[in-house]
Amino acid sequence: MNDTRDNPTLLLLHAAVDGELDAIGTMEVEAKLAADRELASEYDRLVALRDAIRARIPREVASDSLRARVISMARADGTPRPGASRRLTQIISPYRSLAASLMVGVVLGAGAYGVFVPAPAGDDVQQAIVAGFVRGRLSDQPVDIVTSDRHTVKPWFAGKISGPTTVVDLAADGFPLVGGRIDVVGKTPVPTLVYRRREHQIALSELPAPPRNVASEPTHQSRDGFSLMRWADNSHSYEVVSDLPPAELSTFCAAFRRAATAELEDNAKP
Amino acid sequence: MVLPHLDDAYGLARWLTGNRSDAEDVVQDACMRALASLEATTVQQPRAWLMTVVRNTAFTWLAKNRPRTVLLTDDAQLLEAAAANEPAASPDPEEALITAADQAALASAIDALPHLFREVVVMRDLNGLTYREIAAAIGAPVGTVMSRLARARGLLIDRLGRDK
Repeated sequence: MNDTRDNPTLLLLHAAVDGELDAIGTMEVEAKLAADRELASEYDRLVALRDAIRARIPREVASDSLRARVISMARADGTPRPGASRRLTQIISPYRSLAASLMVGVVLGAGAYGVFVPAPAGDDVQQAIVAGFVRGRLSDQPVDIVTSDRHTVKPWFAGKISGPTTVVDLAADGFPLVGGRIDVVGKTPVPTLVYRRREHQIALSELPAPPRNVASEPTHQSRDGFSLMRWADNSHSYEVVSDLPPAELSTFCAAFRRAATAELEDNAKP
Repeated sequence: MVLPHLDDAYGLARWLTGNRSDAEDVVQDACMRALASLEATTVQQPRAWLMTVVRNTAFTWLAKNRPRTVLLTDDAQLLEAAAANEPAASPDPEEALITAADQAALASAIDALPHLFREVVVMRDLNGLTYREIAAAIGAPVGTVMSRLARARGLLIDRLGRDK
């Protein structure tokens, strides 16, 4: 077996273990595994190795002092602040300057949040969330996982984020699910669901609530031309950003909260 | 741009340099370069791009500070030779042996990999990059990523199977 580890079938096996195969490739590998016991045991070893590494090697985390140094470098670098990238605008095309200022926005917004503000401060959270939304719209790739099935999104989040994520189906209310992605707010990865209404998108991020959180009703704000709504329950706060008009966004929030409550009650049943 | 992937960057540096304080130096240096080039370039894949800067910085650092440990070649024969220094393993170890390997055994097996193999394992299995992202990060075709990953895991399996 060792001599043949570079052969195409084995490479295929690794790709299967890594989830890099499409449906056709997966079928091909499954057929080969069923037919070849030696190959099947190599597959088992690879899975065992992958799982052992994932389970037992701890994720490295950059120290706070390193993070702080990098943040202060980003500031000292003279990189333009969001909305003030006049110099960039002059030298490169408007689209690129927008993208660049967004990136800087993420760095600065996330940075300020991570270092100086222990509890989430609304402004920085919103800034990160709006930046994520705009980036999604610009890149034509608003989601990391494309699916209209909430039962696909939920386990996908579960593999990446600790704690359950509320995912509800709002197709009947006129808001079909597009998929999910992970946004990063400060140092915290947060699950974000993307729903659609006509050509508009709605991104909903679920954040762990700060200590001493109190439940709150949805409130509306606007920022950089987008509609934002936020509310909180006992365990989480929800941030919604969209290019929909405020009235329709309120409808969305009401539908989401209704469905989330229904799901919660459903789960509580024996 | 840089901050969301700082942990990944630090993780890669830590596995390549072998210790925390050197890793911090490398990451800080890499971030400085990354931020400096940020205005001049449009970055398509931020994570892969940051990995590129970190790995290049780490390899420069290694070449300067640990010249004897680095084997920066894609020459298959040299890599084979490096791997062959390890005593021969039992041909196909049991899956159970791998499952039973503890953190220290896994970590030392990864540390024993040549750098070019180690980085693909770290990027794939610890940082969770896709093949395409890794290919972009190391500036090589996806096929090279796949064969290095296969070789690296082969070495890990051999080593873990032998330890018990």
